[in-house]
Amino acid sequence: MGSSVSRLLRGPAVLYLPAALFLLVFFLVPLFNVAWMSFTEPDTGVGNYIAFFSSSFDVGVLLNTFKTAAIVTLTSLIFAYPVAYVAARYGGAFGSFLLIVVTLSFWTSFLVRTYAWMVILGVKGPITAALVMLGWSPPPQILFTTFASTFAMTHLLMPFMILTLYAVMRRIDATYMRAAAGLGAKPLKAFTSIYLPLSLPGIANGSVLVFITCLGFYVTPVLLGSPRDKMIAGRIGDEIEQMLNFGGASAMAMVLLVATLGLFALYSRFFGLDKLWK
Amino acid sequence: MTKSDIGGISSPEQAAPTTAGKVSRRSFLATAAAGAALSMPAVRRAAAADEKVLYVNTWGGAWEEAAKEALFTPFTRDTGIEIRTVAPVSFAKLAAQVRTGVYEFDVTTLGVAELGRANQAKLIAAPDKAILDPAKLWPGAVVLDGVASHAFGNVLAYRNEKFPAPGLQSWADFWDVQKFPGSRCLQRYAGRVIPIALLADGVAPDKLFPLDLDRAFKALDRIKPHIRVWWSQGPQSQQLLRDGEVDAIGMWNTQVQRLVEAKAPITVSWNQAVVDVAYWAVARGTPRAENAWRFVNYAVQPEPLAQFAVKNDYGPMNPEAFKYIPEDKAKQLPTWPANFKNSIVLDPAKMLPQIDEFSKRFDQWIAS
Repeated sequence: MGSSVSRLLRGPAVLYLPAALFLLVFFLVPLFNVAWMSFTEPDTGVGNYIAFFSSSFDVGVLLNTFKTAAIVTLTSLIFAYPVAYVAARYGGAFGSFLLIVVTLSFWTSFLVRTYAWMVILGVKGPITAALVMLGWSPPPQILFTTFASTFAMTHLLMPFMILTLYAVMRRIDATYMRAAAGLGAKPLKAFTSIYLPLSLPGIANGSVLVFITCLGFYVTPVLLGSPRDKMIAGRIGDEIEQMLNFGGASAMAMVLLVATLGLFALYSRFFGLDKLWK
Repeated sequence: MTKSDIGGISSPEQAAPTTAGKVSRRSFLATAAAGAALSMPAVRRAAAADEKVLYVNTWGGAWEEAAKEALFTPFTRDTGIEIRTVAPVSFAKLAAQVRTGVYEFDVTTLGVAELGRANQAKLIAAPDKAILDPAKLWPGAVVLDGVASHAFGNVLAYRNEKFPAPGLQSWADFWDVQKFPGSRCLQRYAGRVIPIALLADGVAPDKLFPLDLDRAFKALDRIKPHIRVWWSQGPQSQQLLRDGEVDAIGMWNTQVQRLVEAKAPITVSWNQAVVDVAYWAVARGTPRAENAWRFVNYAVQPEPLAQFAVKNDYGPMNPEAFKYIPEDKAKQLPTWPANFKNSIVLDPAKMLPQIDEFSKRFDQWIAS
C-alpha cells in the first residue's frame, strides 16, 4: 500500500492535489454544512423541505427560475451562434473586431450594464423616442416588464455563449465545408449535416454555462422586470437577509442544487455530458 | 432583494464593484477562517481581546466618508482606539458571526425592523452600563438594546408638471388615482409600506399599532395596478423620479434631498412622513465589546452626532444635537420638531410581534 501511495505521489496525480484540497475545503465542506443546516435548523427533521414544497409561492418561484433560465439560454444561443460563426469562419480584421466588442462588454460589470438598460429602455430613452417618432402614441412601456428583464439577461450572458461557441468553431476544419460543396451539397445542407453537428459541443457547453449562471441571477429581474419575475436566488437571499432563516434558505439551496443536478442527469442520459469536455 | 437599507446611501447590490474592491485581505482571511478553521475561533478571540482596535460595519461610500470625519477620526484621537471599517452593512453576517464566533465587525447599525429581529434572535448585546448609561442619555434612547442614532423619513414626492399645486398632500392623495391619475412607486419593503397603506386608508397615526394587516393588504390591492415598479436601492428611487419614470413616489428624504438641491422639478411633502430610525448595536459575544460601547456612547453625543447627521440629511435622535445645527439646515431634517410632529415614527417594540408574518405575506403578495 505504501508503495502505491508513493507511486501516486510521484505520478501526475500529484498535480490534482492542490485543486482537490482546495475544493474539499472551500466547496465540499461548506456545501455539506448547508445540507446539514437544512435538516437541523431550527429543528431536526425535514420540516424545511415540507415548508418549501407546501408553499405554492416558493415552488412557483423555482419553476419560474428554470423557465427564465431556459428562455435566456435559448435566445442567447440564437443570437450568439451567427456572431461566433462569422468570427470563426471569416476571421480577419472583422472577426477580431467582433471578438473585441464581445470581450469589452464581457469586462463591464453586470450591474453597470443592467443600469445602462434602464436608461435605454426608459421613458426618456432612445427606444421609446424612436417608437414615438414612428407614430406609436402613447408609446408602450418596455421597462419593468418580463420582456425587458429577459432581454437584458440575454445580453448579459451572450459573451459566455459567443466565446464558448467560438472556441469550438475555431477548431472546425474549413476544408470539410469545401469538401461538402465539392460533393454537391447545397450550403444549407452542408451546414446542417457538417458544421452544425461539429459545433454541437460548443452549443452544449455554452448552454450549460449560460443556464447555470442564469439560475443564480436576481438583480437584473428586480431592477428591470415586473414584480412577478421572482428568481429563487432572490428568495434565498431574502430568507437569510430579512428572516435570518438559515435552515429554510439552506433547504431552498439544496432543492435548487438537486433540481439542477437532476436536469443534468436527464441531459446526460439523452445527449451525453461528455460533450462538455470533448 | 429588499435590502434592509437603513442608511440613506446604499451601494446598489452587494456585488457592486466598489464593494468588491473592499473585500480586503482581512475579510478574506475571516471567511477563510470560518471555512477552514471552524475548530479554532478561540485562538482568534484570545488574540483579539486587548487590541486597541474596533471593527465597524458601514454602508460604504458617502455614508462612510461622513462617519469617518464626524465620528471615527475624533473618537480615535480621544481614545487611541483605531477604527477599521467593513462594508456593506449585512444583517445576515451579524447573525453568522454570532453563530460561528468569528467576528468580522463589532458594531453595526440596524433599522427598526432589523433591530427587533436581532434582539429576538439574541444577536446583539445589552449595553454595558458602566460605559453607556441609558439614564444619562435622552428618554427613549435605548430600545431593545439598540441605541438610537439618526432617523430618515419615507416622504412623498412627485413631479410638478404632472400634479400642479396644491398637488398631493397625504398618502390618501397618493392612493387617489381618480383625482391624481399617474404612475406610482414605493419601496419594496414591508415594514415601511404597510404603515403607509394604513395611513392612506385613513387609520389615525396613534392607532397604527398593532398593524391591521388585512386592512393594509386590501388598501395595497387598490394601489397595486398603478405601481409601475417597486424600488429597492436608494439611488434607483432617485433616478426613477428624476427621469420621470414614475409620477409620484414614496422615498427617503436623504435621497430626495439630492434632487431638491439639483433643482429637479419636483415637490416633497413631509406630511405623514413615516420615519425609520437607525440604531447602533453591538454584536453579542464580541471580544471587543468594551471598545464597542465606548464608541457607541461617543457616536450619540450631541456634537459628533450633529455633524454626522447633517452630512447625510439624517435627523439626529439626540434632541441636544440640534444645538449644533444651523436652523435653516435643521428645518430639512426629519427629527426637526416641526417635521417630527406630523410624522409617524416606527417603533421596534410594537412592530416586533408582526414582523415575520407581514414580511412573508408582503413578499408573496408582491409577486402574485
